[in-house]
Amino acid sequence: MSSNSKKNRFLTIAYLSPTAIILLVFMIIPIIYTLYLSFFDWNLIAPTKDFVGLKNYTSIFTDPVNRKVLLNTVFYILLLLVLNFLIPYFISIIVKFFISKMQTSYKIIFFIPSLFSLVVGAMLFSWIMNPVSGPVAFFVRYLGVALPNWTNSGAMAIVMLCLITNWKVFGYNFVLLLTGLGSVPQNIIDATKMDNIPKWRMVWDIVLPLNKSIAFYVLILTIVQGLQYVFTPISVITQGGPYYGSSNILYHTYLNAFVLYKTGNASALAVITFLIFLVLLYLEIRFVEGRTDRYE
Amino acid sequence: MNKIKENGWHILLLLICLVLLLPVIFMISNSFKTLRESYHSMLQIIPLHPTLSNYSTLGRQVNLLRLIWNTFFMATIVTLGKLVTGLLAAYAFKYFSFTGKRWLYFIFVSTIFVPFTVIMIPNYLVISKINLLNTALGVALPQLCDATGIMLFLKAMDKIPKSLIESVHIDGIPSYKILKDIVVPILRPSIISIGAIFFINSWNEYVWPTLILKDKSSFTLPLALENYISSEGGTNFPLAMALSTIMIIVPLLIYLIFQRYILNSISSSGLK
Repeated sequence: MSSNSKKNRFLTIAYLSPTAIILLVFMIIPIIYTLYLSFFDWNLIAPTKDFVGLKNYTSIFTDPVNRKVLLNTVFYILLLLVLNFLIPYFISIIVKFFISKMQTSYKIIFFIPSLFSLVVGAMLFSWIMNPVSGPVAFFVRYLGVALPNWTNSGAMAIVMLCLITNWKVFGYNFVLLLTGLGSVPQNIIDATKMDNIPKWRMVWDIVLPLNKSIAFYVLILTIVQGLQYVFTPISVITQGGPYYGSSNILYHTYLNAFVLYKTGNASALAVITFLIFLVLLYLEIRFVEGRTDRYE
Repeated sequence: MNKIKENGWHILLLLICLVLLLPVIFMISNSFKTLRESYHSMLQIIPLHPTLSNYSTLGRQVNLLRLIWNTFFMATIVTLGKLVTGLLAAYAFKYFSFTGKRWLYFIFVSTIFVPFTVIMIPNYLVISKINLLNTALGVALPQLCDATGIMLFLKAMDKIPKSLIESVHIDGIPSYKILKDIVVPILRPSIISIGAIFFINSWNEYVWPTLILKDKSSFTLPLALENYISSEGGTNFPLAMALSTIMIIVPLLIYLIFQRYILNSISSSGLK
């Protein structure tokens, strides 16, 4: 093939350039430009931008609203980890090792909600959990209890909004984790059966360590994708309210950029988000080795 | 004893099925009830007096065909773009050798998880500068490639014997022909399932389109649905449910037809 290596070089460039150009124009340059904008005071429209140095960053950590939003983000992450990672993981272990039939049916059914838009999910939950006319309110009224108006409480709203994303991604994460469990060698599992080792011990001592890499991948997916997924129900149902109580760093970035027109603040928040992403990416490379050099 | 335990797990798993699916079932059923009936017998799965009134009201309030077309058109551009760029790039990574391959691949794959807020302001500025606000192309342009596709295509290409590609290459057959006549036909199941996943995701997309599509005539289904959900709680739910029911038909049909392929592709996206 070396005789036409010049032609090959041309073809390589031709095949890679569509992806490379789009990523450069709409991904790499925007990241750099966002970093640039984060040092300026701007309103997205005015012809001039005022250089303010690190002011946008210091305000993130001193302004009480920004601090509240950062704290909410931590709360979101913890909740998403439990709902969208631990619970699907537990269920996938049950389906893989503790039942002997219907595995495929569960997989097919669990996956269905992930086909639907989060706007549909947001609409459905605001109906189900409607404190006046929803079915849950209807039920608890029988028990003489009134469903609180959860949109009035930041903490309750965060839980509800996370439940909406859980409805959507549960099946998706379940399928990923179940696949990972499928790569645990069957002969190891059979051996523990012969030795009469209890199943829970087998899972704890053998399966979980062997499945570490895909589990870690889903864990990171849960944080990065979960925070983005939760954006939609926030935007549709609470708009971050009451008083930023259910906002997170991504929604607050959007709010600053496109509602309050504080482009500098928004960019600084975006840069912080990007740093969190970089840390997670680093962790993924460390713990999920091999994912990044697939072509070999 | 073990049997009882296993049945216990099945009960739990069936309960999960119910929790996941009942909202959708109630949504479809309530979309065929009047507002009054949906309130008084909201848990009646088969409506006592089924009516199409919500659908006809919707038809009067919004241009349904236009909404469906806008959504379909946007999702089609995005899907085709991602498939073409992904196949080309995967082919290059798989069969060409060049310097910086490792790095380039690493950068491509790293972009998968970059949070959209990091890039949305500059991208919005670019799209508005080139006058693509309120157009499907404006939504589609920044997403015409997707490293997930490259990753999945590379995995699928593992199934093609490398010697086959090399031997036809030595015979002097140009690589676009190899791609078109050998690789694409072999990868058909992967292309269909990856395309189906791209299409469904794009069909449902909300965040980026809300920034770009401000004019009602350019709206896609998720944006139109959002208009029917009021944050004050005064939502006309049967109406919103009718629109949602229209919206879920397409992804549901795609899943019914390609379910096995789709689940396989999702599975392999998690494997290293």
